Amino acid sequence: MKELAHYGPSLCVKFFKDFVVAGYGPFVQIYDYHNGKLLNKCRVFRKNKVHGLSINESGQLLAYGARSVTIVKFDHLITQVSLVDNEKMTTEWITSGEFNYRGDQVYLLTCYNKVFVCDLTGEILSRKTLQGERSILYSGSIKEFSPEKVYISAGTVMGGVLIWDLFLETKLYNLVGHEGSIFYATISDNGRYITSCSDDRSIKLWNLQTGEELCTGWGHTARIWNLKFFNNDTQLISVSEDNTCRVWDILQDEGNGNTSLTLSQIYEVHLIKNVWGVDIQEKDMVAVTSGNDGRLKLTKIQDTKTMNAQEVSFSLEDISTHSVIKFSKGEIIKGFQKFEFGLIAITSLGKIIQYFECDNLWKLLLVSENLVSYSVTHGIMEHNIVTFSNNKSDALLLKLSQDGRDIIAKKFMHLDELSKTNNCLVTKFDATTLMLTLESPNPRDKFICLQFDLETLSLKKKFAFAKPENFASSCLEVFENYILVGSRFSSIAIFDTLNIEHPAYMIRRISAGDTTTNIKFVETKGHTHLFSVTNRDGFYNFVALSYQNQTHQIIHSNNIVKGFLEGAYFNDNGEYITYGFKSNLFYIYNETNCYEIASQVCGGGHRQWKLTTLPDGGYMLVYIKAARLYMRKIPQSLFPQTLEEGMHGREIRDITILKDKRYHDDGFIFCTASEDTTIKVCHFNESTGKVTNHWTERKHVSGLQRCKFINGKYMISSSAREELFLWEINDDYKLHPFITIRQTLPASSDNPDLRIMDFDAIFLEHSDNFIISTVYSDSSVKLWYYNTDENKFHLLVKGRYQTCCILNTALIIFHDKLYLLIATTTGYLVTYDVTDHIPFGINETKNKLIDNKLETCCVDLPASSLSLRVHQSGIKAIDVFKDEHNDSFKIYSCGDDNAMAITLFKFDEMKRELNNTIVSSEPNSAASTVTSCNVFDNGRKLLSTSVDQVVKVWDVSNNHLTLQEEKYTTIADTGASDTVSGRDDSTLFLIGGIGFSVWKTD
Amino acid sequence: MGKNSKDKRDMYYRKAKEQGFRARSAFKLLQLNDDFHFLDDPNLKRVVDLCAAPGSWSQVLSQKLFDGKTAEEIKDRKIVAVDLQPMSPINHVTTLQADITHPKTLKRILDLFGNEKADFVCSDGAPDVTGLHDLDEYVQQQLIMSALQLTACILKKGGIFVAKIFRGRDIDMLYSQLGYLFDKVVCAKPKSSRGTSLEAFIVCIGYNPPSDWVSTLDVNSSVEEFFSGCHMSKLSIHDKLPSWQEDERTIAKFMSCGNLESFDSDATYHLDDFKEDLNTSLDPVQSPTNPPYKKALELKRSGKLTRAV
Ligand SMILES: C[S@@+](CC[C@H](N)C(=O)[O-])C[C@H]1O[C@@H](n2cnc3c(N)ncnc32)[C@H](O)[C@@H]1O
Repeated sequence: MKELAHYGPSLCVKFFKDFVVAGYGPFVQIYDYHNGKLLNKCRVFRKNKVHGLSINESGQLLAYGARSVTIVKFDHLITQVSLVDNEKMTTEWITSGEFNYRGDQVYLLTCYNKVFVCDLTGEILSRKTLQGERSILYSGSIKEFSPEKVYISAGTVMGGVLIWDLFLETKLYNLVGHEGSIFYATISDNGRYITSCSDDRSIKLWNLQTGEELCTGWGHTARIWNLKFFNNDTQLISVSEDNTCRVWDILQDEGNGNTSLTLSQIYEVHLIKNVWGVDIQEKDMVAVTSGNDGRLKLTKIQDTKTMNAQEVSFSLEDISTHSVIKFSKGEIIKGFQKFEFGLIAITSLGKIIQYFECDNLWKLLLVSENLVSYSVTHGIMEHNIVTFSNNKSDALLLKLSQDGRDIIAKKFMHLDELSKTNNCLVTKFDATTLMLTLESPNPRDKFICLQFDLETLSLKKKFAFAKPENFASSCLEVFENYILVGSRFSSIAIFDTLNIEHPAYMIRRISAGDTTTNIKFVETKGHTHLFSVTNRDGFYNFVALSYQNQTHQIIHSNNIVKGFLEGAYFNDNGEYITYGFKSNLFYIYNETNCYEIASQVCGGGHRQWKLTTLPDGGYMLVYIKAARLYMRKIPQSLFPQTLEEGMHGREIRDITILKDKRYHDDGFIFCTASEDTTIKVCHFNESTGKVTNHWTERKHVSGLQRCKFINGKYMISSSAREELFLWEINDDYKLHPFITIRQTLPASSDNPDLRIMDFDAIFLEHSDNFIISTVYSDSSVKLWYYNTDENKFHLLVKGRYQTCCILNTALIIFHDKLYLLIATTTGYLVTYDVTDHIPFGINETKNKLIDNKLETCCVDLPASSLSLRVHQSGIKAIDVFKDEHNDSFKIYSCGDDNAMAITLFKFDEMKRELNNTIVSSEPNSAASTVTSCNVFDNGRKLLSTSVDQVVKVWDVSNNHLTLQEEKYTTIADTGASDTVSGRDDSTLFLIGGIGFSVWKTD
Repeated sequence: MGKNSKDKRDMYYRKAKEQGFRARSAFKLLQLNDDFHFLDDPNLKRVVDLCAAPGSWSQVLSQKLFDGKTAEEIKDRKIVAVDLQPMSPINHVTTLQADITHPKTLKRILDLFGNEKADFVCSDGAPDVTGLHDLDEYVQQQLIMSALQLTACILKKGGIFVAKIFRGRDIDMLYSQLGYLFDKVVCAKPKSSRGTSLEAFIVCIGYNPPSDWVSTLDVNSSVEEFFSGCHMSKLSIHDKLPSWQEDERTIAKFMSCGNLESFDSDATYHLDDFKEDLNTSLDPVQSPTNPPYKKALELKRSGKLTRAV
């Protein structure tokens, strides 16, 4: 077996020339950060992860991790796939390593405060220690000031930072002031400062000359792992367990000489929880961070000067001092629209004013008496059209010349048929026209849509639609001849411009929440059109609409992490981009790969604002805050935002592959369920192993336990707080597969505190109806029937095994009976015959149930028919194989007791009963807990994973566990796996834990 | 979730409160003893409890060694408990606040024992878990090695050593190393230790170091250096960094500990699973601890650690 691809924690990262060099598991990966390309991936260690890197000017690289160390040429690293032959070992964990200035030696600091000085071949030239200070260190660093002067900073577990002189082997200081273990300490290049961080979540700055504490920086909400001085030692960057990296300014008070640390920037860069590594390329002021999520993230570090240059803001007073325009007292800006030349705004006294960006000038365009006090402003940027409306059923449209200097068309309209207007929306309708909608608060009034020519602004057509009930327009999208209007109550009305009489097709209550904020057409398949719909309360949905059949279906549902959702769209890479507000920030977020693209402090959602995408790919956010108009440019990044997308930041607890069909003909869709409470929907390429993220579903509120595709359409996930969801997947569309919740399993109480540990399902013939067994942490066992048409779960059987937690369950049809199996924390495999407890017949050849159209009712769990102790303690996983030839079925099991076993079930024809025996067991099948097993190759082979990080394949063809192959995996807390048949008789393994790998059998 | 729901979820937490133990960990030691009976030996006199805070193991040891014993019996009995964290006093227990990886700490413990040997050494040490599994396991193993270093200096021949382990990727290396020092090494998992955690305990029976190895404690050398010369191959130092080689590994026998009536620490119990009334809630016995990040928590609560800058 071989590994095709791996994603997992990256513990260290460095810039070197035009490259980003990252420690990625036992590999060093090199990227060109200008284009994001992975140039090479070279294995440097056999097992250990690369924890630290140092590169010198002459192109030598030092990598270390645990007790491994290697010194290799960068040229080799970028061309070869493996340099493990060069791996050397030390006797202690290496905490830090650096080249000397001449580049002919390295210093290796171990966790016992010892330094090996070695030449480049690994020959130890000397060993240095600090007498009497040999306790364990969590952190440390090495600073060479000159060949004779090297300082060591060592962070102890008792809150002290020891600074010592390497060659003199003398202590300079033991800096005390922090609480708890010190997680990082380093000295500035200029020799002025030491900075350190600890379990107390603060950063301290110390004077290297005197050892005195200068100041403390607070801000991180969890532990800080790494610190780096930059910008001539005037700034610090920190990375933390709170997913952020932060920039701190070291400020010197001219007056009293005091030094302070001021938090100046916060970037949310990784998924929960840890950001481990950081480096800065000062030439471009770009930071690279690496995290537990396997992501490598590039972040442009904004300096205040450029930040200021990218923002202009004006109060009306400012505008009048910069122009000849005079404003009255109490006059305010009521609306605005961004254009390429600048902006057009309107005041509460109907003054339409214009801003020219190139010469930073304001000009009065015109004054409209009609638009005094109330007005709504919109426009179409690429056609230089601005529109205004008021509450008296008037609309004013203006078209300006390219440079914005002249009005080239103007249209004023009054609508007699509306008594009053309270909303107006505008969008481009087709190549030559725009659509402007006007709505009155009166439910009996029509909903008016006006179609104008984009060149002449002449009215082409007027549509008056009957207004649906409970309708209040909030956003607008057009598609072919349809007008889609988003409304309050999470609804959409669809009007047909070719059939005005036809009542609007209504899609109501798409999700929880109220106002529909944005509708976007996505793609068409046959007669069905797919739209993305966002809701201010944070939900987004994809609605497949077939107007012809007057039907629709929600095929995807999810919610954002937190805050308000104002809109979303797909970018050129097919990534879903969302934007909105959270607390006092405006954010733009890459939802597909889960990272923030930009954020801006603006005071929060309750304000006038508009986001415009600029032709160069950047954005312009215009908003009003405290009566000032702000125009903030968010430039397109010069670098890719990520070099590696990564997956979950915490443990993957389960993996399930959609095995029924290939996705895009080159791989499979799969889902991962994680401790981080999310489920990711991804696909992998079966030849390269490359994983593409599609969605991160956030419906669960507690850490996931299981996820499993039960057929080609349904997936089920379960977690603590008694959550179990039935999901439906749809892979008919080009852009992404979509997934939505169909139903939630009823919980046993209002404040559920049980964990649903596992479930299994069996389908009824000719339908998507199924029965499902669920097992719980309180020893409960339940059996349910799910009916697709009714979309409802019916409880069929319920009971409790004992009081111990049940970890696994399986449903098996055998000898015309239905057996429900459970596996417990006490190591038992218990079998129940539930044949007579379900209202269904059994079709054994098809392995399905028969619907006898009987009533469903709930009965008690019968007494168990078999109970066998297979393991000493918890059974972590089971898999079932039905052996048709030998008229038996087998349960493969693995447990906390390091053991694996095969239990054979047969039917005794004489006694007419089921019996079972352990036919093979391997007490020391691993050095620690065996966490998952999957039977594959038609029952001939078994895959196992265990916490000792060894993946094993067992030959089980003759009912005996015979180890066939084993291989180390870099994934810690190895705990989940699934298999699928690949091409040419191979089998593909997906393995998860802290990280994720795709393996393939030879 | 109130106090009661934690009681319901975690039976051991509840039992600890009922029985006046400072932590639920007490049951881990008691359940290990259920199977190995090391605390029931009338000759058990002098013990060291490493990484002992808040002190529930020390409480168990104090009860076993002193409660209901005659003045004559307790004459030469002694319990020394060590932790980084301060511990509130426990009857008959001498406490020491220190880092056990610091060679000076071991010196202090030896001094407390005079020239006498100990019968039993235990360590329930757990480091600050960083989330870097390899580092966490390594530091955990170093705590064990430090405990072992003390053991080598103080434990009588034939004595018992019990320590917490994380059953991770290198645990078989540790088993193999322990094999050089003890007659028998078992990996035991008490029922009170959660099935979902990597935690387990090594019970090392019959201290029996290699006859040609003399252990000498030097405050200027590290644990690794201390064991060089013993048969623990990884601990020797060469003048040239050796190339990578696979370490010696063995698997210790696994044993689940605790009697059949023991609660399942992974289960959620019902109110009517017990005769007693679970609705009466007990106050925690251990007063709230003082975490290093207390100030950060205060700042966060008062809204001073928000996102905006
Ligand atoms: C799980 S607690 C021990 C609980 C204890 N057995 C009881 O029953 O109350 C682990 C302890 O290990 C301690 N510890 C971790 N590293 C240590 C070190 N280097 N020296 C001393 N104690 C340490 C921690 O301070 C913590 O109190």
